[in-house]
Amino acid sequence: MADLNAADIIQEREEFICVNAKDKDESLKCDKDSIAGTVSQRACVYCGARVVLNPVTDAFHIVHGPIGCASYTWDIRGSLSSGPEIYRNSFSTDIREHEVIFGGEKKLSAAIDEIVRQYSANPPKVIFVYATCIIGVIGDDIDAVCKAAERQYDIRVIPVKSPGFAGNKSVGYKAACHALLRLMGENKRGKKIRGINFLGDFNLAGEMWILTDYLRQIGVNVVSKFTGDARCEELMQAPQATLNIVQCAGSMTYLAKQMEQKYGIPYIKISFFGMEDIKLSLKRIAEAMGDQSVMEKAEQLTVEREKEVGPQLAYYRERLRGKKVAIYVGGGFKAISLIKQFNDLGMKTVMVGTQTGKAEDYEIIRSISDEGTVILDDSNPYELEKFMLEKGADILVGGVKERPLAYKLGIAFCDHNHERKHPLAGFEGAVHFAQEIHLTVNSPVWKFVRGEGAG
Amino acid sequence: MKNRNFVNLSVNPCKMCMPMGAALAFKGIENSMMLLHGSQGCSTYIRRHMATHFNEPVDIGSSSLTEQGTVYGGAENLKKAIKNVIKLYNPEVIGVATTCLAETIGEDIAHITDEFKAQEDLRHLPIIPVPTPGYGGTQFEGYYAVLRKAVQVLARDRAKHRKINVIASHLNPGDIRHIKGILDLFKIEYILLPDISRTLDGPYAEKYRRISAGGTTIEDIRCMAGAAATVEMGLTVDQKYSPGRYLEERFGVPLHQCAVPIGLANTDAFVNLISRVTGKLVPARLKERRGRYIDAMIDSHKHNGQGRAVIFGEPELVYGITDLCLENGVKPVVIATGAKNNRLKELLKAGLDNMEEKCVLLDDTDFETIQKYAKDLRANLLIGNSDGKWIEEKEGIPLVRIGFPVHDRIGAQRKVSTGYEGSMGFMDAITNTILENKEKAYRKTMYRKYYKGDKKTEKMTVKTTLKALNPVAGRKSNEEKTAAHPCYHPGAGECARMHLPVAPKCNISCNYCSRKYDCPNESRPGVTSEVLTPGQALEKYIEVKSKVEHLTVVGIAGPGDALADFENTRKTLALIRGEDPEVTFCLSTNGLMLPFYANDLIRAGVSHVTVTVNAIDTAIGAKIYKNVRYLGNRLEGEAAAKVLRDNQLAGLRYLSSAGVVCKVNIVMIQGVNDSHVPEVVKTVKKCGAFMTNIMGMIPAPGSVFEGLPAIGDKALHEMRKQCEKDIKQMYHCRQCRADAIGTLDNDRSGDFRNTGCHVAERVNDRQKPAKLSEREKACTGCAVNR
Repeated sequence: MADLNAADIIQEREEFICVNAKDKDESLKCDKDSIAGTVSQRACVYCGARVVLNPVTDAFHIVHGPIGCASYTWDIRGSLSSGPEIYRNSFSTDIREHEVIFGGEKKLSAAIDEIVRQYSANPPKVIFVYATCIIGVIGDDIDAVCKAAERQYDIRVIPVKSPGFAGNKSVGYKAACHALLRLMGENKRGKKIRGINFLGDFNLAGEMWILTDYLRQIGVNVVSKFTGDARCEELMQAPQATLNIVQCAGSMTYLAKQMEQKYGIPYIKISFFGMEDIKLSLKRIAEAMGDQSVMEKAEQLTVEREKEVGPQLAYYRERLRGKKVAIYVGGGFKAISLIKQFNDLGMKTVMVGTQTGKAEDYEIIRSISDEGTVILDDSNPYELEKFMLEKGADILVGGVKERPLAYKLGIAFCDHNHERKHPLAGFEGAVHFAQEIHLTVNSPVWKFVRGEGAG
Repeated sequence: MKNRNFVNLSVNPCKMCMPMGAALAFKGIENSMMLLHGSQGCSTYIRRHMATHFNEPVDIGSSSLTEQGTVYGGAENLKKAIKNVIKLYNPEVIGVATTCLAETIGEDIAHITDEFKAQEDLRHLPIIPVPTPGYGGTQFEGYYAVLRKAVQVLARDRAKHRKINVIASHLNPGDIRHIKGILDLFKIEYILLPDISRTLDGPYAEKYRRISAGGTTIEDIRCMAGAAATVEMGLTVDQKYSPGRYLEERFGVPLHQCAVPIGLANTDAFVNLISRVTGKLVPARLKERRGRYIDAMIDSHKHNGQGRAVIFGEPELVYGITDLCLENGVKPVVIATGAKNNRLKELLKAGLDNMEEKCVLLDDTDFETIQKYAKDLRANLLIGNSDGKWIEEKEGIPLVRIGFPVHDRIGAQRKVSTGYEGSMGFMDAITNTILENKEKAYRKTMYRKYYKGDKKTEKMTVKTTLKALNPVAGRKSNEEKTAAHPCYHPGAGECARMHLPVAPKCNISCNYCSRKYDCPNESRPGVTSEVLTPGQALEKYIEVKSKVEHLTVVGIAGPGDALADFENTRKTLALIRGEDPEVTFCLSTNGLMLPFYANDLIRAGVSHVTVTVNAIDTAIGAKIYKNVRYLGNRLEGEAAAKVLRDNQLAGLRYLSSAGVVCKVNIVMIQGVNDSHVPEVVKTVKKCGAFMTNIMGMIPAPGSVFEGLPAIGDKALHEMRKQCEKDIKQMYHCRQCRADAIGTLDNDRSGDFRNTGCHVAERVNDRQKPAKLSEREKACTGCAVNR
């Protein structure tokens, strides 16, 4: 917390904030429970589990608990499907006082019965059952209920233990990974399929489609997708793939490590956000496939597409150079990609924070951001306001909750969350991204709130 | 009626939880800050939801309960949270609401907050503890529970004064501003609780305030105990949550309850009530507004009379909207709320009993139920919050947005639907939605309904064509139908047929098949540019029938298998039969499900069935079929080929014995079944086939057989000649698309694509209509051979 006016920061929070200084080896505290009353921007374990599993399009997602958790997560995410739309429904056991007193197991198993009955024309293959806050507290044994249903209906019914209080969103990611491992099963060292599993893209606004098309073009076979536009059946095939590529590291590294152990699938980390990472990722995937023709095609694709988007990016670069950026996003992977993209656009990152970044993420953030950049973990509106104003940010990149704050402060905003309706990944995504930043930063409306036109 | 007490599964919730209502109410108290005692996620979800509706920062603290707090009690977490919130926000009043978790582990927040105040020496700081377990009710109850508790904690000053209390139900900031404007016109003094007019819709200011400006002052709430009267919007509120009831019982402040002032009668009631309790005359400006609204009602009444509305949301708002609809002749067909509320039912009963057509009243319901009724009762309007967008998308019924949350449109926070002016604006939104829909559709509707063609084409309608072909009127025999079927009778070349792509699913996987790509320039079986619902298929049929000469046959040829998707097939046939008793029904299938549906086909009036049989020998079949999905099992190899063959032949025997004209298609594949074809022909003949159609396989890119050579025309012709000795052969096959229209030699499907009807937007299975990228348009290929 050196060099900061820290008088107004909650004392316990000080260790979660630092100013990047390359000569000092100051470590940032992270990956801890939120401090009560600081108005953390984080959601909960259930949220983490739900965002990871929700894009599985033909799975039934039953939220076992009171209605709120199901209501606030109904079809608000931008994961698209090329077929089934079951995942866009919100199924809930809608627990009431009666079940809180007498237990909710009966209601859960009746709810599963109802789904099987109601959808007999298109029978469910997999049902995920999310246990929210109070399920464990009231003593429901959802493992037993799920197991019984599996036996009765000969389908997969997989419990997802995600009580909100059991940690933060990352714990939820892990719960989702466990559910996916359960779906894939234990002994799957069967016949190998030459190809990759794409881990950590959720097909927001069709991003998975864009990226798998690149892979197709360079001759890489995609065995399964975790979890954007995924079908249960393809996920069950995943253990037969020869390589895992991991994009959203925060949610999927754990799964990749587990799959390496269990199924012997090596993994590499990649990212399709920003030109630098896209090029590098295509190259790394091609190398990992160890096929000369794939490498050549990857090279060719990169050259072609770069030629196509280069002039467009140059247009925006000219208009964005020198602007100051504040970043506050969910995970480290996204923050890192964003800093690189802004560097590429000639913009300066003055503040960067994440809800659930890990120590190694912050190490990278520190190494690629400038001296004087404020770095925050599990921040809150108070700190965001303070540092954006102190650092003179022109734009904030974040999620829905942060948007009104930025606007009230007269700061431009870019939505980089699960709800967006335009792709930001891949070559075309890089252009969309620059375009969105340009649209907001250089909008005429800011004239009226600061500068010449301000009243 | 689906009542949540009798079912165990809620599908697409039509309600939120109590803490949400608590947050909305606390936002209307000046300099207040709210804390939720529970997991971190509850506050974050609620903040996110509110931020999207109001477009304002919404800060809500959380005690961020952890595992430890859950086991050993969360008192310390809560105290720390209050302390931190005070440091960061310096509020004048703190609201503490509980969540499911806090209530389940039995947290006594009144006790904890008292203890906190004593420990920290903060006795002057008002803290309002409200139990709001998520399972205890909806946001509607949570909202009033907070108001009542706020009054209980703060309204202590009994000194009498002239002001009146006005308790506002959950409305938009724009509505609250408008209602304050009405009260100001009376030139009276009032205390409005809660007042979110600025707190959740604040102007841009140079300096940002962490607690937004505005709201009912604590001083004002304190004085509510001495007010002259309370006017409370809330006819559907349980009295145990009513703040006005508390003030009456505890301090003798007379309570007058009224509805939200939406619609004429409700606004009249509100305005007259204010006039009565304050002794002031109704201001002339209001009378003028009233007159203008009635004028507007008259202007719009004929349009509104065509509205069939589904109204949903919180009980109080639903009540107001229903009244407005009834006053304007908009017919409510479904009235629904996610809350459990008997009062709403009682209140609406009188008005609805007088309606000619009964209206469905649902409480404690979910959107799945609402959707079902909306569809069954042919609603043409949805009125409620953005969660109705699901039904709007799936059923194509337009949604007039009102209530909370409206997160898929901008400006919800400043919308006004109350008072005479607000009602007028809201009514206009309804009317304009009806008009927009009419404008969009009426030309086409009228054309379809009434246009019978000019003289030249009149001759060519289906009926006259058939008449011309067969002067004997009445039902045609199957022989007569065959004579007018372009595929079964080479002489019927001028007769047209249309294929309806209503059956996207398939239950077998053939190695020559690839339905990945659609290509408008391709013409192969299994290829289609769109998939239709049965309703859309009917629409398309009616249109095509009016425009294509000699249309004698309606066929279903996938794009999957007509019997794998039998529900769609059956519905389509029934709908078209209802419209046209004469047209020939033809269907093609792989035959797997024939033993199950043969009787249904006969009953539906299908006279012509084509079964594709490629092999009798199961060893050869095993090479052609990758798998067969039969009764929940996935079969491969010879087992698959055997089941398929047995069912095909059994089906053929049964259908032909019942008089159905059966054609058998055989895909001739070089090196796989080419020498086996004659045996297939002989076998199917024994089973009653009328003719066979031997086709050369088209090597489809992306299919397993893409690398095999195509059969030459000469070889094909020779094979047909050879087999002709056994059975009639088809020489004129064009291997048409699943959405072909026209005569065999002139496919006109392009003329009707996405014009007569919409592309089906939802396909349950894999075969979604493929959207083409530029590259794919360069014809990556497509095809199936069937």
